[in-house]
Amino acid sequence: MENPLHHFELHPLVHLSLMGFDISINEGVVAMWVALAVVFGLFMLVVKNGVRLIPGKLQSVLEMALEFVRDMVEEFIGKEEAPKYFPFIVTLFFFILACNLIGMIPGSYTITSQLVVTGTFAGFIFVMTLFIGFSKHGLKFLSILVPPGVPKVMIPVMIPIEFISMLARPISLAVRLFANMTAGHTILFVLFSLSMSASLMVGWMPFGFTVIINGLELAIAFIQAYIFTILTCVYIGDVIHLH
Amino acid sequence: MSESNNFRQGMGIAFRMGTEMTVATLLGGGMGYGVDYFFGTKPWGIVVGVVFGGAAGMLNVYRAAQAMTEEIEKADRDQNNSSSKDQDGKN
Repeated sequence: MENPLHHFELHPLVHLSLMGFDISINEGVVAMWVALAVVFGLFMLVVKNGVRLIPGKLQSVLEMALEFVRDMVEEFIGKEEAPKYFPFIVTLFFFILACNLIGMIPGSYTITSQLVVTGTFAGFIFVMTLFIGFSKHGLKFLSILVPPGVPKVMIPVMIPIEFISMLARPISLAVRLFANMTAGHTILFVLFSLSMSASLMVGWMPFGFTVIINGLELAIAFIQAYIFTILTCVYIGDVIHLH
Repeated sequence: MSESNNFRQGMGIAFRMGTEMTVATLLGGGMGYGVDYFFGTKPWGIVVGVVFGGAAGMLNVYRAAQAMTEEIEKADRDQNNSSSKDQDGKN
């Protein structure tokens, strides 16, 4: 049997290198481009047809999705600050969702199953929250390491704990998305190869499970995109409203 | 609609809590290991690191859970208010 992790491997399609760096185009890059094109295309389709007061089917779906994200941003970041961060967060949501859903098409590549990609997202968000925090509060931002109402004796203990919990946030953000997508697709692969290698008498059983897990994976594609964006909102909101 | 909403929220909570603790503990342990490696304080760095990491993980989970409880309580209150209003309307 094939290695269940085999389909996560990336193979360069076009070999390119820039100043000693390998920037070859592989399946993952193509999947990302497709995701971008799908999101851009869907929205452009609505804009091209004219944004109407009485929305058509596609327009109302996209409006609902946008409002859903806007409510989320307003809830965690606050109404005054929300318009500044909304474009970034909504882009993040649609891009991750598109990547996850494209991965559900058999034979395509799930780019969110690469720790490099999710790690880049999370790292960027982490640096961004630090930047926002320091530019908004100056050095007072460091007080985020000391929770309010802590007795003075506990402060030397609390600072390293808070420091670790701060650093753990982007890592858990990256690992969660990566691990969920990788695990789901590995399970799908194992179940499907079981049903392929068994006779039809037994093989229908893992095949049934493949179908069920496929449905679950579809839900997870949405849920993970949702969690990633909601946590981004929470983290940005935390540094804006210190405690 | 509300059933799928509950499902989505439940899945969200489950996925959020699970990684939070693991990652913080591993990160604390890793930092402790790094301290050991560079300062030659084996094994105390990793011991203290895992404890602090575990505490940080607990803190993260506790905060997330607290935020969620507040959210649920708020939703419950809203629901109660709207249902009592409905009853008023009927009466």
